[in-house]
Formats: sequence, C-alpha cells, structure tokens
Amino acid sequence: MRRSDLGEFEEVVLLAVAVLSPKAYSVVIAEELERETGQTVSTGAVHAALQRLEQKGYLRSELGEATPERGGRRKRLFTVTALGGRVLNDVRSVRNRLWERIVPQTILKWS
Amino acid sequence: MNPNQPPPPPNWPDKLLNWLVAPHLREEVLGDIHERFALRMQRLGERRARQTYWREVLAYLRPQFIKRRPSEYAKPLFTDMIRNYIKTAWRNLTKNQFYSLINMTGLTVGLAVGLLILLWVQSELSFDRFHRQADSIYRLENWAGTGSSRQIWTVTVAPIADYAKKQVPEVNDAVRISYNGSYTLFRYKDKLFKEDNTFFTDPSLFPVFDFQLIQGNPAAPFPDNSSVVLTETTAKRYFGDENPLGKTLSVDDKTSFKVSGVVRDFPKNSSIRADILLPISLMFKDRYTNRDDDKTLANDFSQFNYNTYLLLQPGASISSVAEKLRAIHLSHKPDDTDLSYLLQPLPDMHLYRADGTNGGIETVRMFGIIALLILTIACINYVNLSTARAMLRSKEVSMRKIVGAARSQLFMQFLVETALLFSLATLLALGLIYLLLPVYNQISGKELVLNLLDSQLWQVMGLTILGTLAASSIYPALLLSSFEPLKALRGKISARLSDVAFRKVLVVTQFAVSVILIAGTFIIGKQLQYIRSKELGYDKTHVFAFFMRDMGKHYEAVKADLLNQPGVAGVTRASANIVQLGEQTGDTQWDGKEQGETMFVYPVAIDKDFVPFFRMKLQQGANFTGAVADSTRFILNEAAVKAARIQNPVGKRFKLWDRDGTIVGVVKDFHFASMRQKIEPAVFYYAPDRLNAIYVKTTGNEAEPVLAATERSWKQYNANYPFEYFFLDKLFDNLYRVEQRTGTLFNLFASIAILISCLGLFGLATFTAQVRTREIGVRKILGASIAEIIQLLAKDFIRLVIIAIVIAVPIAWYTMHQWLQNFAYKIDIEWWVFGLAGLLAVGIALLTVSFQSIKAALMNPVKSLRTE
Repeated sequence: MRRSDLGEFEEVVLLAVAVLSPKAYSVVIAEELERETGQTVSTGAVHAALQRLEQKGYLRSELGEATPERGGRRKRLFTVTALGGRVLNDVRSVRNRLWERIVPQTILKWS
Repeated sequence: MNPNQPPPPPNWPDKLLNWLVAPHLREEVLGDIHERFALRMQRLGERRARQTYWREVLAYLRPQFIKRRPSEYAKPLFTDMIRNYIKTAWRNLTKNQFYSLINMTGLTVGLAVGLLILLWVQSELSFDRFHRQADSIYRLENWAGTGSSRQIWTVTVAPIADYAKKQVPEVNDAVRISYNGSYTLFRYKDKLFKEDNTFFTDPSLFPVFDFQLIQGNPAAPFPDNSSVVLTETTAKRYFGDENPLGKTLSVDDKTSFKVSGVVRDFPKNSSIRADILLPISLMFKDRYTNRDDDKTLANDFSQFNYNTYLLLQPGASISSVAEKLRAIHLSHKPDDTDLSYLLQPLPDMHLYRADGTNGGIETVRMFGIIALLILTIACINYVNLSTARAMLRSKEVSMRKIVGAARSQLFMQFLVETALLFSLATLLALGLIYLLLPVYNQISGKELVLNLLDSQLWQVMGLTILGTLAASSIYPALLLSSFEPLKALRGKISARLSDVAFRKVLVVTQFAVSVILIAGTFIIGKQLQYIRSKELGYDKTHVFAFFMRDMGKHYEAVKADLLNQPGVAGVTRASANIVQLGEQTGDTQWDGKEQGETMFVYPVAIDKDFVPFFRMKLQQGANFTGAVADSTRFILNEAAVKAARIQNPVGKRFKLWDRDGTIVGVVKDFHFASMRQKIEPAVFYYAPDRLNAIYVKTTGNEAEPVLAATERSWKQYNANYPFEYFFLDKLFDNLYRVEQRTGTLFNLFASIAILISCLGLFGLATFTAQVRTREIGVRKILGASIAEIIQLLAKDFIRLVIIAIVIAVPIAWYTMHQWLQNFAYKIDIEWWVFGLAGLLAVGIALLTVSFQSIKAALMNPVKSLRTE
C-alpha cells in the first residue's frame, strides 16, 4: 500500500466523509472541518480533494436532492468505498503504532 | 420574489464560474457556493457573507474544475487519425527544411501578392456600386458633331433634366452636378481656405444617391440660395469640434453662406466626390438674371456644362428614354440635328468609357489575370516539388496501405499536409500584406486598408486561399495515394511517364507566363518612354504657369517687372492651359462647310508672342502682330485645316462664334491632350481681354528667385488668394500618371512572378541533382568533365524554357498589341523585344539551375559514391 498518495488534507476530508456519511457533501464537510479546526475551509478546496479521492477510488459519489438555498441545484453526495475504508484503517494503525511507541515522559515535556 | 427568501449571492461570480467551470461540474459547484453563502448569512450576516464569498469563488479557479471532460463521441474535425496526419505532416516539414522553405516562400509571396492585387481589383470593381439604387441610376451623355468630329460629351445642357422629369414617365428623378469655379475663397473667423473641389447640385442628390446627411434635412438640404452643405472633414477643417450647423462662412469677401447640412465624407470608391456642395439654383440665378440676351434656364440648350444623372424606373428601356430626350431637345433647339442622347449605367462610369467601350476595366482585367497567374505559378511550384519528391515517401505510403489504410484515407492525409503548409503560408502572407500595404498604396495610388471586419475582404481572401489550396493539393494527394504497395516496397516504382510529362507541362506553363510578363514589361516601358519623349510640337521646358485673377488687369506691368528679373527668359499669356485644353465649341463656319456638318475645335485666345514663346512652328502664313485687326484673324492647326478640308487656308474666311474673320496662319500640330487621343482641331484667336493664364519661362537654373518674385507680384494684386502655380513638365507627367502607375505595378508583379518561378525551378534542380548524385559520381570517375555534367543537368530545364518561349511569344504579342490600341500614338512592337525576353528567361533559368548543377558537378565522386 502506497501511503504517499494520501495527502494530509485529503486524509481529513476522507475521515469527515466517513463521519458525516451518508449525508456527506462538500458544504457540510467544509462546515464540519471549519468547526473542528477553527480555520476557514472553502468548499472549493474540499470539492477538489473529494474529486481526487474519488479518482483514486477511495470515494464514490451520486447526485442527491436539491434545496432552495442551492438555487434548485442538486448536491453530490460522497460515501467511502471499501478501498477507502482500508486506507483509513491502514493510516490509523500506522499512527497508533507510532503513538504507542512514544515514551510518556516525552509527551509530558510538550505539555 | 418571496420576501422570506434570503437575498441571493452576488450575480457576477456566478457568471464567471458558469463560464470557467466545466459543464459537468457546474451544477454541484454553483449549488455548493450558494448553499454556503446562505449558511454564512444566517451565521454572520449579509455583509460578512459577501466579503467571504469571493474567497469561496476563487477556490474554484483550479485546473481540475476548468478542464473539460473529453467527449464520448468522436469529433469529426479532430479525430485521432487527423491528429496523426498533422503530426506526420509536421515531421515531414521539419525534416526537409530546405524544401519546406522553398515551398513556404513561394506560397507566401504568391498568396501575399495575389491577394494584394485582388484587393485592388475588388476596390476598383466596387466603384459606385454602394448606392442602393445604383442599378437604376444612369449618367446622361450625348453624341455631338459629325464626321471625324463626332464625339461623346458627358456633360449636358441644364434644362433637359427638368424636361426629363416632367415629360418622360420612365424618369423618376434627375440630379445635375456642375463644377463651382465662381465661389472659391471660404473663410470662417481666422480660417481661410481656397476650395478647389466644390460643386453645385440639385437637392435631389440626397434621395437619389446614398450620400448620407449627418445633419440637415435630406428633403430640403438647401433652404435657400445662400446655404451650403459641407462634408464632415471640411466642416472639421473650419469649425473644429463646434457644431457646424447654422454657422456662417464668408466667401470671396463678398457673400456669405450658412451651413445647412453636413454630409458624411464621400466614399473613396465614389466617382462623385466633393468637399462642399452649393445649391444649383444659385448657379442658375447668377447665370440667367440680368442677361442681355433672351437665354433663360428653360431655353438655354447650348450651354453643355452639367453632369446629369437620371433615376429611371426599374426595367425602363434606355434607348427609348434616350430617343424621347432627343425629341425634347430638338423641339427646343431644332438645329442640333447631330445630337443624340445615350445613358451610361452609374456603376460603369469608373471603368468604362463614355461610349461603353472598355476603359479602366482593361487594366482591372489585366491585373486580375496577373494575380491568377502569380497564384498559379505558386501552386505549380508546390505541385511540382511535392510530386517530384513523392517517391521518397513511397515506403511510408505502402506501409500505411499494408496496415490497412484505404486510398481515401491516404488522400485525406496528403490533403491535411498541404492544408497545414497552406495555413502557415497564409498566416505569413497576411503578415506580409500588412507590412507591404503602405508601400503598395503609395505605388498604386489607392487607400486600401486591411480591415479584418470587412466581409468583402474575407470573401476575396477565402476564395483565393481555398482556390489555391484545392489547385495545389488534389493532384499530389491523388498521386501519392496511388502507389501500389508491393511494387513500391520492392523499390520497383519509377515515376510514371505521365507524371514526369505533367511536371514538364507545369514548368513550361510557369516559364511561358514569365516570358509573357517580361515582354509585357519591356513593351509597356517602351511605350511610356515614347509618349513622354515624343515631340509635342511645343517647348514646355522650364515653363510655369498660373491663372492671374485680378493680376490680369495689370499684365503689362507684371510682365515688364518679371522680364527685369534675372532668370526669366520670357513671359506670355493665353486663355487656357496648353498642356490640356478643355473647352470645345462646334460654333464654327468656313467656306465649304456642308449642310449639317459640325466640326468641334478647341479655341484658344493667345497673345502675339505665344507662338514664338512655345517655339511652335508656323507651317504657313504669319503670327498675330498685336494690331487691332488681329481680333478678326485666326491661326488654325493642321488638324483643323484637314478636318475642314480647306485648300490654301491663308486668307480664307473663318468664323468662330460671332467672330467673323480670316485665317492668317497654320500652326504645326501640337499635343494638347494625352497621347491616347489623336490631335484634334484647334484654333488660335486674338482677344486680349480673355488672356488670363500667364506663362513664365525661366532659364532653368534660377527658378526659385523667379517664383519668389512672381509670388510677390501676385500678393500685390490678389492679397487673399494663395499663389498656386504649376510647371508644365509636371502637369504633363500627371497626364500619364495612370499609365505610369500601371507600368510600375506591372514591373513589380512581373518580377515577383519570375522570382517565384525561379524558386520552383531551383527546388526542382536541387532535387534532380540530389537524386542523381551517384550517377554523377560514376560519370566523373569514368572521365566526364565538369562542363559535361553541368550540361547534362541543365539541358532538360533549358529545353523546357525554350518550349515556353515559343508558346509565350504569340500570346505576348497579341495581348500587348491589344493594349497599345488604347493609344493613338504608339510604338511598333519589334521582334527583338521577344528575343530579349526569351534570352532573359533562359538566362535566369540557367542561373537558377546551374548553381545546383555546378555544386553537383564539383562534388568529389569518392564522397558521393560513399553515401550508401
């Protein structure tokens, strides 16, 4: 499994899709990320990441319903594919393994 | 709109995104940013939402949103195969840079020059056609005179227009236009101009022609006799940015005119062009009030002074209108039996003579043909080079065929290849045209512009380019796609006999055209030389002249003053400009004149020293002496004596107008018009009160101080008027400006045609030398001398050029003979002209070919044989 093809922002977006599933689309993801990180996140950036992830096969998408505030336009809803789920798991286990190997004193020193 | 609904986001980011974002993403993208905007507004309020909106929008400006999804369906204009063709073509172009360069240069120059000429042709053909009613407008002309004096006048009498409108039902409207020589000096505040291009006109000018009044009332452009209509440019000259309407121009310090309208500048392709228009009723008032004879506007059928245009009903019979007008004319002036009317369509005025025979149209046709010839030569170059080199590509073609290409696909491939080269050449040609246009305008005297918005320009260019493309692509494509793959791969194909023969025919055509053009250049040049150096019958060197105006009353003093100036060799005066006499009259009587005969003469009043001043020869009799009795004496030119059939003219009676007198002398014929015309009858008479044109002869080296002195004396009597003089030599040259221009252009085009031909020959020669490299090597080893090898290579080409000469000579002779018919005085076509042209063609061909031949002949055979 090549790890290098999942960027940091992409990883967060992929996670957000998993969290918000089955109602994940760029606006709610952007809002969610803004809330979690406290930084401005544009839908354009999220949308671009979503597209890349779909291209890589981690996500699949379909068109959802339209709402009045969207001017009657449909939204594109994303769900995580099995491959996407495995990649997330991989990433997580790598991180977990690394975290577990950090000596507690080191963590104390940061805080 | 629903008041509960939140305000929509700003509109124009939407537009930007709609334009930029790929169609398949538009829906979700726009939906997303609108929803985000709505959310932000709820949370942060409208102002903040708007502020952040831009960042949202900008986030979408990345390639992945902009890039269009490839279409699922094949695009017929850009399939993979065509892409492959273009790639192959491009590789071929860059691989054979030498041949590509030759092809490109030939095509570029050919297209550029061909298009330039066609633009000129188109502009000539467009003359007077822009009027919506152009097809129903005719110029009224009349035949006058009998026998050798019979001629067409393009000016008519004034009343015929009124009668035509009233009594001929086919005539819808009539317009008279007459030159204004009586009101010349226009002034507004401190702006003072002498106007030379002003006309009296009927108000019907505006409804009949499409000259657009920008200001003023088209139905009544001249409210009264003191109103004028100016063109836009003229108005700007006087009033700058002020509104010209209602402004007053004072004229000749006597009268004043009020500007009643502004007309858009007359188009450059209009035969009717003026700076200022005055009401023709003013001219009539000046002419017919307080006259001592009984002439009125309604009965003056003897003053031929008006350009008359008739607007006929569609489908009216021209000859019947002319007949009716003649009947009307004769009912008012029964003795004009020699007169008959004719009508010339307005669009023909510029290119045809008054009698409907070919005028300028011949030059237009000639140049049209030259343009086609140049384009043909350029096409031939391409065809020749690409077919000659076709064999080199036989392997490629065969491979394609074996892999499964149909012949039609290969045909397409070579078509695309030619099209690629052509589009490059077209681009370069357009650039070249753009660069050359100012120079070309200067030479051709046109004001062509490369206006890319002009649809006519595109028509001409589109047709030309498509035509040449078709002409030069089809044959090579057919030939190249015809190879039989198995034979070609075994190296068995030798060019078929017919192909070689075809190529030879093309080379012969090219060189025949070149020889025709060279011979044409020689003959035109010689004819121009001839008319400029022909003995005119008078000596015009170093003479300048001008019309004296108020100075005329003080002529004797002025003359005495001028003669005292160093550098003045002589001074005389006459009533007209000797280089180009204008006035004609048929009001002549002599013993032996037949019933109903009319002889038109050019009457010129001259001073007693006029004949010696111009070194004219008196064949018989004597000159005027200045005595009072001279006013009943005449000097005729030989043409007049001959036309009137007077034996021993001196002492015979002659009557001009109401001057009854005797002939005292006969002057040798002299040219007072262009050499296109025969010398016509002219009569000198003596009338000191009519001599308003003064001629001053300088010794030649001190013209400047003489001119300065003359101007001082002019200012003394004509304070307000600018001093305008002309040298007779210059004026004489102007007579032949059109011919001169034709000559220069012809030279230029001929050189270019020859250049392009040589380029093609050069390419072919190079190719032949290349193909025969090894043959030459073997020959050299076996003992052939360099001269023999050059001969071997050049022989074929030279033979073709000689065949071309044989074909070209009769064609050249015939066309130039036709052209010379335009001149009453012309050179004989001598055989050596063709000899020289042929020799030149051979020489040029030899030079072109021998460069390559010598190179090939000098090559070391060891090297050339080692090439494999």
